[in-house]
Amino acid sequence: MAEKQSTPLEKAARLLDLVPYISTHQGVALSELAAEFGVSESELLSDLNTLWMCGLPGYTPLELIDLEFESGFVSIRNAEILQKVRLLTKDELVILLVGLDLLIKSIDPKRVDLLHAITGLQTKIKIIIGDIATIAPIVNSSYRATILNAIASRKNLQISYHSLIRDELTKREITPIELMVDHGYEVLQAYCHHVSAYRTFRLDSIAEISISGIQTPLTTSPQDDEAFQMEINISKRIRSTLERFRIAVSSDAAARSGSFTAFSFSQDWLIRSAMSTLAATEVLSPISSRVELARKCRKTLDLYESALFADIP
Amino acid sequence: MSRKTERLVNLTIALLATKRYLTKSEIFRTVDGYEGTPESKERMFERDKDDLRNLGIMIEVGTFDPLFEDESGYRIKPENYQFQLGDLDSKDIALLSLAAEAWRGAALDSSALSALIKLHAIGIETDAEALPDLAPAIISKDANLALAISAITSRTVISFTYLSETLQEENRVLEPYAVASRYGHWYLFGMDLDRKDLRSFRLDRIQGELSTKGRAGNYEIPQSFSVESHLLESRSQQSAELYLRSGRALALRTRSTEIFDKKAPLGWERVSIEYRDQERMAEEILWYAEDAVVLKPESLRTSVIESLRAGVIRYG
Repeated sequence: MAEKQSTPLEKAARLLDLVPYISTHQGVALSELAAEFGVSESELLSDLNTLWMCGLPGYTPLELIDLEFESGFVSIRNAEILQKVRLLTKDELVILLVGLDLLIKSIDPKRVDLLHAITGLQTKIKIIIGDIATIAPIVNSSYRATILNAIASRKNLQISYHSLIRDELTKREITPIELMVDHGYEVLQAYCHHVSAYRTFRLDSIAEISISGIQTPLTTSPQDDEAFQMEINISKRIRSTLERFRIAVSSDAAARSGSFTAFSFSQDWLIRSAMSTLAATEVLSPISSRVELARKCRKTLDLYESALFADIP
Repeated sequence: MSRKTERLVNLTIALLATKRYLTKSEIFRTVDGYEGTPESKERMFERDKDDLRNLGIMIEVGTFDPLFEDESGYRIKPENYQFQLGDLDSKDIALLSLAAEAWRGAALDSSALSALIKLHAIGIETDAEALPDLAPAIISKDANLALAISAITSRTVISFTYLSETLQEENRVLEPYAVASRYGHWYLFGMDLDRKDLRSFRLDRIQGELSTKGRAGNYEIPQSFSVESHLLESRSQQSAELYLRSGRALALRTRSTEIFDKKAPLGWERVSIEYRDQERMAEEILWYAEDAVVLKPESLRTSVIESLRAGVIRYG
């Protein structure tokens, strides 16, 4: 990755933050400091050289900030004025507020101490910026931690997985490969020993997870193909229906004509999506899907028409 | 390039160190880096003030003697400059650091990094062992999320193009109030200035980047506004009753409560379930086809039956 040149303002912000950081970490290694601030060592050296020229009006050695860094370790003196950690900007407070939302939902309710600390911090932040951001997480942060640990230590995972497509809850042993984002959802790509094939698992559909000691070397590699497709015509609720079929929405003329192609790794998913959006969608092809939808509609309608399934008080 | 950086830092130091307001002429005389004609110094100073404000540093303007029309002066009050969350212990720092980490690589990566630096600069060692193993993550890389948050915190009006249900591009002008993520999607709330009403927008339906209009601080968020309550009130909750085939329709099942005091056909359970949007609820029921039958309310049952009849005709 090419190094991005900081603007004078970004550099100034960094200098103001370097002073308190070095003050509380006297003798910190240059390399460590560069890593903490996300800059190269040469950029950091240029920062320190600039900081060295700063101080109180008068700018005699008595007023200038005194830095030492030739040895590869940095210490600072005569910087009392800037020693206080800078205040958090409102945007920083927003990300902290939202980040704390993520934690609160993933912590064991028994850890009252932590939950109490989190709500205390959130209250402090809301007093400053108001109640302006919130998230209801759909993935448990401790599950994600378990997955990352398993990937890092090359261990298998035991999961209990809720498949929306198959409408079933199964226990599986999987070898995790990597976390990815698929159509806006976080997924884990893994080798599933239950079906002896690669599968992607939505993190928000994992019901239970634990690391298993067994490590399985993989001999094949995953294939990324959305093998199935379906031609559909959408007559109403176009935007919502496209979102359901995970077709990118746009306002171009082709989109407004109403004909689309949906792709998926699962034929069942396409059929269920078409079933779900019966009121808005007509499947044009493949013919086999039309036949399957006719069967499902007939069978379901039969239930509604049977006396057994009417609401008799 | 670094002259400007130096001047900004020196100006900050001078304005922080002073116990009284410094006049512009004092600043130009004593702070290193103000050079050129009086006009160019003036321009430099105005830009510097804006820049510092963008870093969240508040410069206060005041006069020496309130009784006389004196030349105004400038200073930075230490309490407006320094970390404002009060005393934190190592557990607080660990929690806040983890909260910031959630944004690494996401829409507000740079704010996450700067927040982490400040938290670490406090110099309290955090004990990672004290926390359970958590890896919180925000996955949105949507640039509009960062833009919306900045607009909200700076109270800046925004405009954007929104894709309607019929895929029409609509121009919206909004006083943004809040962002919230529900069911994996980010929503933006605010006062729609054309429709003169509180509205919400799903961020991924905004086409292109949103843009700001006018200056910061052009409106106030009403005291009474709260995202939480707005989310709850946006649609009233209704209750439906369904038969679910035993062991099937798992997602509906987990959100429902079983009803025992009414009879259900053999191999089925009767449940009740709360919902807000009838069309979405109908779609969810149809997803499970012959494994879920809705009994009431009548309007929901009718809409499902109508869809099924249309399906039988269309595909049969």
